[in-house]
Amino acid sequence: MDSLKKQEEAEVYPKEPKPGRKPKQQRKKGLSAKRREALTGYFFLSPAIILLGIFLLYPMGAAFYYSFTDFYILTPDDRSFIGLDNFMFVFQDPEFIQAFWNTVYFTVIVVPVQLSVALGLALLINRKLKFRVFFRTAFFSPVVMSLVVVSILWTFMYNPSEGLINEMLAMIGIPEQPFLTSPDQAMNSIIAMSVWQGAGFQMMIFLAGLQNIPNHLYEAADIDGASPWQKFVHVTLPGLRNVSLFIFITITIAAFKLLVQPMIMTQGGPLGTTKSLVYHIYEAGFAYRDVGYASAMAVVFTVIVLVITIVQRILVKEERG
Amino acid sequence: MKKFPAFIVSSTLLVILAACAEGGDDGEEALPEEPAASEETEDTEGTAEPEESEDSEGNEEEGSGDEVETGAVDTDTEATGDEETVLEFWIHQTGEEETEAYIERIDAFNEEHDDIYVDAEVIIDDGASAYSDSINAALVAGNLPDIMAVDGPYVAAFAESDVLQPIDDYIDDETIDGYVDSIIQQGTYQDELYSLGSMEASVLLYYNKDLLEEHGIEPAHSLDEAWTWKELHENAQELTTEDYYGLNLFMNEGVGEWLTFMGAPFIWSNGGELISEDGTEVEGYLNAEESLEAFEYIQTLFEDGVVSESPPETQFQEGEAAMALGGPWVGGMADDAGLNWGIMPYPYADEKYSPSGSMAYGVTSNSEHPEEAAELMKWMTNKESTIRVAEATGMPPAQEAAFEELDRFDDLPWSIMEEQVVETAKARPSTPAYPVLTDAFAETFHAAALGEDYESVANQQIQRVERELRRFQD
Repeated sequence: MDSLKKQEEAEVYPKEPKPGRKPKQQRKKGLSAKRREALTGYFFLSPAIILLGIFLLYPMGAAFYYSFTDFYILTPDDRSFIGLDNFMFVFQDPEFIQAFWNTVYFTVIVVPVQLSVALGLALLINRKLKFRVFFRTAFFSPVVMSLVVVSILWTFMYNPSEGLINEMLAMIGIPEQPFLTSPDQAMNSIIAMSVWQGAGFQMMIFLAGLQNIPNHLYEAADIDGASPWQKFVHVTLPGLRNVSLFIFITITIAAFKLLVQPMIMTQGGPLGTTKSLVYHIYEAGFAYRDVGYASAMAVVFTVIVLVITIVQRILVKEERG
Repeated sequence: MKKFPAFIVSSTLLVILAACAEGGDDGEEALPEEPAASEETEDTEGTAEPEESEDSEGNEEEGSGDEVETGAVDTDTEATGDEETVLEFWIHQTGEEETEAYIERIDAFNEEHDDIYVDAEVIIDDGASAYSDSINAALVAGNLPDIMAVDGPYVAAFAESDVLQPIDDYIDDETIDGYVDSIIQQGTYQDELYSLGSMEASVLLYYNKDLLEEHGIEPAHSLDEAWTWKELHENAQELTTEDYYGLNLFMNEGVGEWLTFMGAPFIWSNGGELISEDGTEVEGYLNAEESLEAFEYIQTLFEDGVVSESPPETQFQEGEAAMALGGPWVGGMADDAGLNWGIMPYPYADEKYSPSGSMAYGVTSNSEHPEEAAELMKWMTNKESTIRVAEATGMPPAQEAAFEELDRFDDLPWSIMEEQVVETAKARPSTPAYPVLTDAFAETFHAAALGEDYESVANQQIQRVERELRRFQD
């Protein structure tokens, strides 16, 4: 920023000030240049601000307002203020409660599993293997694919009688598994697929973290006669602390926003065991046209995510200190 | 000059944005002289006022943007500019051939009527929410067309909310009599007629001729010979072997409208209903003795291993299920697979009922030209149209007289479909809470299929429907 500022000033005051000019005038001119600079700044900011305003701030404000109304899509002009009714029902709605616990379950399993898988992959790839680039690309490629496409592919793979996974299981003598149609397995199947899809991205971040750990620490550990495990626990892990915390927070929030996988793979079933909070909100708003209630749930959802984030930030600070 | 790259970036961005905004427009701007009338469906914040009558009557600039571009399909006729009334018409697209049939009929209408011009727009219907999202968006923005395609069972909600207007004033009894009963049932809400459709639908008991022969089972050849539940169960059990299931219920379609469409006749046939006749009470219907018996029957089919709870899509045509309760489209797929197949009527317990209902048309309340719109609706569902659409889609026509001119309904297997559409078809319940009711039914049906306690699921689902119904009580 500073260098840019200087350059601009240099343009405004070409070469040298004219002789005999009063210092007062100079200051005046300096101010207007500053203002002009500020204006330029806002000009460049404006696309971002306008887009944010239209697509983020306005909808958020609208959702907050609608959450206190009985906005029903079929009667958009006939909406009245109903106070906290929507919010009261949120906590009595058995589907919301089920969706909440489904989402918590998903998050609690996905976060540690995905974190460790990503770390494991990063450690594997960080060695000087022969086909390193190939593996790195292979592990990262699911991230590049659209989640919708991945979900459809995995739906085929999970198919009980014709799916790839069941055919492989059959080869080793395990009977057909109803992956997506059994209330006990459906969520776990979605978790497995989500970890596979997401871990590659965190792997890349871990990889960057690994390469940031100075090599002399390992050399020093070697001189002290540390075993590979000791090096991992006492050098690698502490070196990755900040990276891990960042990944921890982002995975948690992303996991809480689970939507595409149940929408495509199970439609929230069987028996609502894979219905996530966001999917429930989507259904209430679009399938059942109850925008007021959906908005109220969205507000509650935002608060939940906010609380989780704040708690995590406090934890992060403590660990740093 | 340091700012130059940034300037290029931001101006490029602006140009792209502007291009996007324009790009959205050109598909629909059939008549540019109507500023407020044709807006993109996704534009929820756009001009909110409905079509002004002045616009359509007054300004007739010659040769101004006559070409109608409807989604991916063009119509052949062009507006001459002399028409007094311009009707905006939304049709849904599930298949190209079907859309072509609609466009052909719209062209014919435009040629026939000098004073009306139909400005049609094709909106994609992916079977999920794409089409209803478009309607929802236009509803909130207040720019619905004059007439639009709506899914049959959703008519009641639109009618209750005054999104659609009744068309009784524009139609005579003789015309009504031409339709099969279920189409009128489907379009009627609280004794007023709101919609008419060109297509019917049905669910038939397909069977694999070779497998039935192998097991020495004689199929039913007409509605009179229809199997009872008991026969279906016994024969399906007999037909279940290690290599194939006895019956396929297309559970792979997921927990959605299919289960209600296909499964509701089990309740009806046993003397039950999903909801009271006026569509306001669900307690004592979905969980009534008759309904629970039907769910129990469904559960037995699954428990006995006769039906798969997650069949592959092609189970029936691949010979992995001996029979299947499927829609009219299954026949074509079985033909493609080279299967030797036949059709039996929908099985029954006490009374014979069969599924019914499909997309229909409704005139919106903000239309300034309800009479002309109703005229178009009648045209799109008259004998010629139903024949044309039936030929394009393979679905049964909604006009009784149309069956006579369609040869394929003369003999087995499709004669069964005609019998069902004319005699046993029953429309899904007409209630504004239908979107929740259908999900409630599907969840209960699915619970039964999974061997769960369907009664407690039914009771839980009833509370959801009751909450939804409260919205309409005042």
